[in-house]
Amino acid sequence: MISSIGLVVSWLCLLNLLILVVSNNKFRIQLLIRLNLLLNFLLFCFLEIALFIDDFSISYVANYSAKSTPPVYKFASLWGSLDGSILLWNLVLGAYFLIYIKYYKKTSNNTDIKIFTTIIIFFTSYTIFSSSPFAGCIELASLGCQSSSLLPFQDLVSSLEGRGPNPLLQNHPLMAIHPPILYFGYIGLVLPFVITTSYFFRKDTSSNWVQLASDSTFYPWLFLTAGITLGAAWSYEVLGWGGYWAWDPVENVSFIPWLLATAFLHSSKTQINESTLLNWNYFLGGLMFLSTIFGTFITRSGVLISVHAFSNGNIGVFLLSGLAFFTLFFVYSGSKNIKYFATSKKIKYIFGKSSFFIANNILLFVSALIVFIGTIYPIFYETLYQRQLTIGRTFFDILIGPILIMLIFLMIFSTKITIKNINFNRWLQNNLTNINSSLILTIFFSYVYQLSYLSILALFGSTMLVITILLNLVQKKKLNQIKGSYWSGQIAHLGIGLFAIGLLLNVSQSYSDEFITSEGSIVTFGSNNYIIEKSYEVRKDEKDVINLPIKSNDKYKNASLNIFRNSSQQAISSPAIFRNLESDTYVTIKFIDESSYKLIFRKNYGILIMWLGLSLSTFSVIPRIRANEK
Amino acid sequence: MKNKYTLGILLIVLLLLPNLYEDADSRFESWSKNLLCPVCQGETIFDSPSEYADDMRTVLREQIDNNLSDDEIYTYWVSRFGERIITNPQNKNFEIIFIPLFLSIFFIALFIKKVRK
Repeated sequence: MISSIGLVVSWLCLLNLLILVVSNNKFRIQLLIRLNLLLNFLLFCFLEIALFIDDFSISYVANYSAKSTPPVYKFASLWGSLDGSILLWNLVLGAYFLIYIKYYKKTSNNTDIKIFTTIIIFFTSYTIFSSSPFAGCIELASLGCQSSSLLPFQDLVSSLEGRGPNPLLQNHPLMAIHPPILYFGYIGLVLPFVITTSYFFRKDTSSNWVQLASDSTFYPWLFLTAGITLGAAWSYEVLGWGGYWAWDPVENVSFIPWLLATAFLHSSKTQINESTLLNWNYFLGGLMFLSTIFGTFITRSGVLISVHAFSNGNIGVFLLSGLAFFTLFFVYSGSKNIKYFATSKKIKYIFGKSSFFIANNILLFVSALIVFIGTIYPIFYETLYQRQLTIGRTFFDILIGPILIMLIFLMIFSTKITIKNINFNRWLQNNLTNINSSLILTIFFSYVYQLSYLSILALFGSTMLVITILLNLVQKKKLNQIKGSYWSGQIAHLGIGLFAIGLLLNVSQSYSDEFITSEGSIVTFGSNNYIIEKSYEVRKDEKDVINLPIKSNDKYKNASLNIFRNSSQQAISSPAIFRNLESDTYVTIKFIDESSYKLIFRKNYGILIMWLGLSLSTFSVIPRIRANEK
Repeated sequence: MKNKYTLGILLIVLLLLPNLYEDADSRFESWSKNLLCPVCQGETIFDSPSEYADDMRTVLREQIDNNLSDDEIYTYWVSRFGERIITNPQNKNFEIIFIPLFLSIFFIALFIKKVRK
C-alpha cells in the first residue's frame, strides 16, 4: 500500500517540477516550490512510516531494516542505503529551494528557478525511472527482497523478517545526525552554482553576484565542517577504529568540496574589495557543486572500494551523465561572458590582502587537486596497466602536511591585514613579543615531545597563530567589537590553529601495544595501571554486547564487542577511553573468550584538542549571526 | 631591540634542538604504515587490529630484525600481494608527485603574471 502511494507521489513530484520549470508567474512559482517541498516531505514520512511498521513488501525496508532494529536506527535507515538517501537528498534540495527564493533571489528574472528546478528534476527522475526506495517487492530472497518493481499497484510479496541495516550503521545514534548534516553541507553548494550560472547565463554581471554566492556558501560550509567533524568523532569515539581519518575515498570526496568552499569564501572577498579574480570566482562558485556530484559518483557507482561505499544499479551512468550535463552548462554560461572576465583588474600589491588570499587559494586548490588525484589515480592506473595501486595516507601526509603548515603561517597574518603591502619590519616590531613567547613555548614542548624539524615548524606556526588571535580577541573584547564575519573568520582560524596542535601531537606521539589478559590482571601502559575485571554479556534484540569493565584511578570504563544478529560481518569493537587534555588511553577488544582477553592499548595524543579546535571552527558562525549578516 | 636579540637566540636554540634526541620513528613503524592490510578496508597494518595484519606485522618484524634492505622488503610484499599493498606508491610512481607539483607551479606562474602586468 505505502509502496504504491510512494510511487504515485514520486510521479506527482515530477509532474509538479515539470510545471514549475515552464512557469513564469511569480505567485505560481512560490506555490509550486512549497508544494515540491511538501511532496518530498510526505515521501520522507511515508518511508519512515513503512520502516516503523515493518512493511516488508517494500524492497528497501526488507533489505535495510528488520523487526529487531531499534527505533532510532529504523529512523536512520532511511538514509542507510542508496535509494533512501536520494530521498533525503531530494528533501534537502527542496528545502534549499525555498531558502533560495526567500533569501538569495534578488532579481525578477526566472532563469535561476529554471536551473534549480532542472537540478531537482534530475535527482527526482532517478528515484522514478532507475531505482526507488518505494519499489515493491515481487520476488523474495532467503532473507529480504530479491527483485522489485517500479510500477505501483502490483501484487507484492512480503517477507517475514528484513535483513536489517549494516551493523556499522546501527551502533550509535550519531547515524541519525552525521549523514543529514553532511547532506545539508553538500547540497547547499547548489546555491552558489545556481547563483553563478543564472547570473552569467543572462549576462547580468553588473550586479554583485559574488557577494550573493559567497553568502550562500557560508552555511553549507559550516554544515560540511560540522558533518566531517562528526564523522571523524564517530569513527574514533564509537567504532573503535582508533583513527579519525583514513584518507578513505569517501572521506576524500567530502574533503574536496570543503577545500573548494573554503577557498571560495576567501577568494570572493578579493573580488568584493578589488574587482579582481572574476573568472576564478566563477570557476570556484560552480566547481563546488560539481565536485559534490563527482564525489557522489565516485563513491556510489562502485568504481572504488571504500568503507562508506554502497553501490547498486546504474546510478554511476546516471550521475556521470548529470555531471557532464551540468559541467557543460556551467562552461557554456561562463563562455558567454569572456568580455566580462577580461575586465578583471590586475593585482597591485604583492604583499597586500588580495595576494594573501590568492596564496591561500593556490594552497587550498592544490590540496583539493592532490586529494582528487590521489582518489582517482588508482582507477586510471588499473585501466592503463591492469594492476591495482593503492594511494594511502603516506602520500597525502607527505603532500598535504606541508601545505597545511604554509596555510597556518598565512593565517597568522590574517588578524591585521591591509589592502596595501604590509610593512614586514613594522609587523615584526609589533609582534616580537608574540614571536618570542611562541618560540619559548615551542622550544619547551619540542624538547618534551622530541619533535622533528617539520613538526617544530608546524608547532611554532600553530602556537603563534593561537597566541596572535587570542591577544587580538582580548584587545578587541574591551572595545566590544566582536561581531561580524571578520570575527567568524578569526575564530575559525583559532579553531584550525588548535586543531593543528592536536593533530601534530597525535601524529608524532601516539603509540600502541597489545596485551593478553585475564580477569583480575593488571596492565601497565603509559604511566598508569589498568585493572581488567570480569567480562559480562548483555543480550538485546538486535545484538549481543560483551562488556569488559576496565578500572583505572577509580574510574570504570567499558570496552565492548557488539555482535549483530543479522550480520555475518566482523563484530564491532567499541573502545574504553580514559582521557585527559593531553592524551587518551584507548582500549579496544581484539579477541575475547571465557578465560583470556586480547586487548589493544593505544595512547592517542591531542584528540581532545583536535575536537575542541574543530568545534570552535564550527561555532565560528556565532559572531556572524550576532551581527545579523546573512 | 632587546627583544630582537632574544628572537635570534631562541631561533638558534630551536634549530639545534632536534640534535639532542634520536629520531623516534623506527624503520618498523614507517614500514608498517606503508603496508596495506589486504583484508581490511583501506587500513594499514599499523592501524588495523585484525589477525591478518597481526601476522603481517610478525613477518615484517622478522625482516627488519634480519636487516633486509628496503628493496628486498618491497619485492617480498609486492610479489605476494601486488602493488596495491604499498600505500606510498609515490616512491616508485613519480608521476603522482609530479602532477600536483606541476600544477602548483602552473598556478603560481599564473599569479605572478597577473601581478606583474
